[in-house]
Amino acid sequence: MASAVIQKFKRPLLESLLAIILGFIVGAIVMAMFGYDPIAAYSALLIGSIGSLDGICESLANATPLMLTGLTFAIGMKSGYFNVGAEGQAYLGAIGAIMIGSVIHLPYGIHLAAATLFAMFMGAIWSLPVSALKAWRGVHEVVSTIMLNWIALFFVRYLIEYHYYEPGRAERAMPVLPTARYQVLGASLTTVIFVAVAFMFFAYFLLWRTTLGYELRLTGSNPEAARYIGINSTRVIFLNFFLGGLAAGLAGATQVLGRPPSWTIYKTLGNVINLGFDGIGAALIGRNHPVGIIFASIFLGILSYGAKFMMYLGVDPDLTRAINGVIIIALSLPELYRIIRRFIVGREAE
Amino acid sequence: MRRKISAITKTAAIVIAIIIIVAGVGGFLYWWTSLGPAAPRKIKIAVVSDIGGRGDLSFNDMAFKGGEEAEKDFGVEMIELISKTEADYVPNLETAAKDPDVKLIVGVGFLLSDALVKVAMKYPDKNFAGIDTYSQSIVKDKYPDKYPLPNLMDITFEEHKGSALVGAIGCLLAAYYNEKGGNYPYIGGVFGIEIPVLWKFEIGYKWGCDWALKWYEKKFGHKAPIIGEDSRYGSGPNWKDGMYCPPETPGECWYKGRVLWTYTGTFSDITKGYEAAKPMYAKGAIAVYNIAGPLGLGINRAVKEIAEAKGLKMGPPFWIGVDADQDWINPGFVIVSMVKRVDRGVYYATKLTIEGKFRDVVKEYDGVMTLGIGTKILGTLMEGISASTLKDLDEFVEMGVRAEKLTGKKVLPMPPDQIKETVKKMRESVAPWIWEAAKELEDKIRNGEVEVPCVFTKEKIDYWRNILG
Repeated sequence: MASAVIQKFKRPLLESLLAIILGFIVGAIVMAMFGYDPIAAYSALLIGSIGSLDGICESLANATPLMLTGLTFAIGMKSGYFNVGAEGQAYLGAIGAIMIGSVIHLPYGIHLAAATLFAMFMGAIWSLPVSALKAWRGVHEVVSTIMLNWIALFFVRYLIEYHYYEPGRAERAMPVLPTARYQVLGASLTTVIFVAVAFMFFAYFLLWRTTLGYELRLTGSNPEAARYIGINSTRVIFLNFFLGGLAAGLAGATQVLGRPPSWTIYKTLGNVINLGFDGIGAALIGRNHPVGIIFASIFLGILSYGAKFMMYLGVDPDLTRAINGVIIIALSLPELYRIIRRFIVGREAE
Repeated sequence: MRRKISAITKTAAIVIAIIIIVAGVGGFLYWWTSLGPAAPRKIKIAVVSDIGGRGDLSFNDMAFKGGEEAEKDFGVEMIELISKTEADYVPNLETAAKDPDVKLIVGVGFLLSDALVKVAMKYPDKNFAGIDTYSQSIVKDKYPDKYPLPNLMDITFEEHKGSALVGAIGCLLAAYYNEKGGNYPYIGGVFGIEIPVLWKFEIGYKWGCDWALKWYEKKFGHKAPIIGEDSRYGSGPNWKDGMYCPPETPGECWYKGRVLWTYTGTFSDITKGYEAAKPMYAKGAIAVYNIAGPLGLGINRAVKEIAEAKGLKMGPPFWIGVDADQDWINPGFVIVSMVKRVDRGVYYATKLTIEGKFRDVVKEYDGVMTLGIGTKILGTLMEGISASTLKDLDEFVEMGVRAEKLTGKKVLPMPPDQIKETVKKMRESVAPWIWEAAKELEDKIRNGEVEVPCVFTKEKIDYWRNILG
C-alpha cells in the first residue's frame, strides 16, 4: 500500500523537486547578474524562515490563507472552470469577519464560529453572480470574476471608510473583539491554521469520496459523458463556485480573525490584497490537489517570509520578488503544461 | 521509453538532492563564519518603511535620507526594509531586531504604532523609534504597568508651529496681491477626518494668519487691504474694524473668519479634496492648505483648472503643501510647504543611541520626543519643523530623480532644473517682506517671544474657533 502511494506520487514529486532546483538556479543567476551573493542570500532566506520557531510560525501564518485561495482555484479546475474570483471573495470574507467580529457581542467560541461562518458565507455570496452569469447567460467566468474582483475592492473600501472605520484611526476598520480572535500559537500564527487545514480535508473528502464530488470532477474531465449521464450542469456550476467562495471567504477571515497584531483590515486592503492571485500559484504548484496545495502554500509562505531576510542583506526588494516569481513559475510549469496540453488535445478532439 | 525517463529523472533527482545539501551546508557555513569574531563591526540602524516605500517623496524617502546623513556623521550602517503591505510591519521590525549589530530600529509613519509596541516589548535590549507614531499611548492603554516602555520612543512634530508659519505666509500673500488690486479676502484649508491631531494644524494655521495681519498693520501703519479691514467677516457688539474682540480676551482683538476650512471626512478620496477646494478659490481664497494627505492632489486639480482657464503660468491661486516639501508637484502654484523633518528625527534618534542617551530621553519625556521650532531635548536644540526652502526643494527634486530611476515611472512634472527655476521665480515674484515676516515669526517662536496655541482637546478647539472662526 505504502509503496503504491509512493509510486503514484513519485513522478509529480520528482517534477516539483526539479522545478524547485531550476527556479533557485535561475534566481541565483539573476542575483549574480545584479552583483549579489546568491549563496548568502539563499541561506539568509532559509535560516530566516525555517531556522527558528518564530520563522516557522510566520511562514505557516503566511501559508494559511494561500492554501484556501489555492483551493478555490483548484476546485474550479476540477470542473474545468478557470475561477480567478478568490481575490475579491477574500475581501468580502474579511469584511464579513469584521461585520460580526467587531460589531456584535457574543460569548467566546460562538462569536468566533459565527464570524468565521459569516465570512465564508460572504465569500460564497460573491460567487453567485459568477455562477448565474455563466449558467444562464454563458458569460465566461474569467471575465465575470475579474470584474467582480474590482467591484469587491471598491465596495469593501467603501464599507471600511464609511461604516466600519475605527474611530480616531482613519486607516483601518474596527479590530475584531477579543471574543472573535483565534488563539495565538506563536509569532503571528494562530489556531485558524487548523480550521484551514480541516477545510482542505473537507474539500478533499467532498471531491473524491462523494457522488457530488464525482459529478464535479466528471464535468471537468469529460463534459460530454457528464451530460450524457444526466448531470445537471447548472447545479455543478453553482456548487463549484459556491464552494470556491466559501474557501476564499475563509481565507479573508484568516487575516482578520487569525492574524495579530492588527485583527482588522486596512483601508488599502493591504493585508488581504493579492491573496487570491498568490493562491493560483499555490494551486498550480500543488497540482490542484488539496494535499499538494497545503505543501505548496507552506513553500510559498517560507519564500515570502524568508524574502525579508534576503532584503535584509541588501538584495533589492523588487529583485527579491522577481526571484520568488521565477521560482513560482518554474514550479507551476509542470501543471501549466498539463493544463495547456489538455486544452489543445481537447480542441483537436472536437 | 517510460522506464528510461524515470531512470533519468531518478539520477537527476539524486544529483540535485546532493547539490541542495552541499549548497545548504555551504551556505550555512558561510553564514556561520560571517558571524565569527571578525574586526570590530559597524553599529547598524534599521529603517522600516511604511507601505509607501522608497520613492514616495515623503516620509519614507526623508527617513532614508536621515539615515544616510547618520551614516556619514556617525559611521553607522543603515539597513533599509521596505514594507509592501501592512502585514509586513511586524516581520520587518523583527528581522531587524534579530540582528545583533542593530542597535536602533526606526519605524516610519503612524501606521507602525502597534507593530512597534509589539516588537519593542519582545526585544527589550534594542532601541525602537517611531516617526509620527503614538506607540507609547498604546502602551499606556494596554499595559499601564509598563508605561513608558524604556526602549521605545515616539518622535512627533510640532505641527501647530509649522502651520502658523504657512498661515502667516498665506495671509500676507493675500495682503500683497490685494495691494496690487486683487480681491483675495481669504485663505483656505482642506482637512481630512476630524481627529484631534488635525486641530493642531487648524488652529496653528488660523493663528498664523492673525499674527501676520497684525504684523502687517504694525509694519505699514495701516490694515492689510480687504483681508485686514473688510466688514464681511462679521459685525455686532464684539466687532471693531473687521476684528473680533471677545470678552474672553479683554483688550485683545482678532482677525476672525479669514480662513475657509472644511473637514472632508476622508484621507483618501481625492475628488473630495477637489470639491472642497473649488468653492474656496471661487470665494477668493488666495491659497489653500492641504492637511489631508493625498487630497492635496485634488486641491492641485482645482488650481490647475483655474490656471488653464485663465492661461496662468504662475499663481495666484496657490496651494500649500504639508508633511514633505510638495513645492515640486506643480511648480509655480505651490507657494510653500509645512515640512516635518523626518530626516532629522532619524538622525537625532541615531545620535542619542550612539551617545547612550536614548533611554534617558525616553524616561525624561515619557517616551515622546517632540521636535519643532526651538525645541530642546536634554538641553540640546533639536528642531524638526520648517517652512520649505529652495534648498529643501533641491533635495526633494533629487529624491524625485532617484525615484524615477528606481521605478522607471515619471514622477517629476518637468525637468529638474526647470522645476527649481520656476519655484525660485515664483518666490521672487512676491514681496520679499512676506518671507521676512515668516522668518521673524520663526525666530520669535524659537525665542519664546510668541506662543502658538497647541490644541488637542474639544474644550480648547471650541474656545479657539470662537476667537478665530
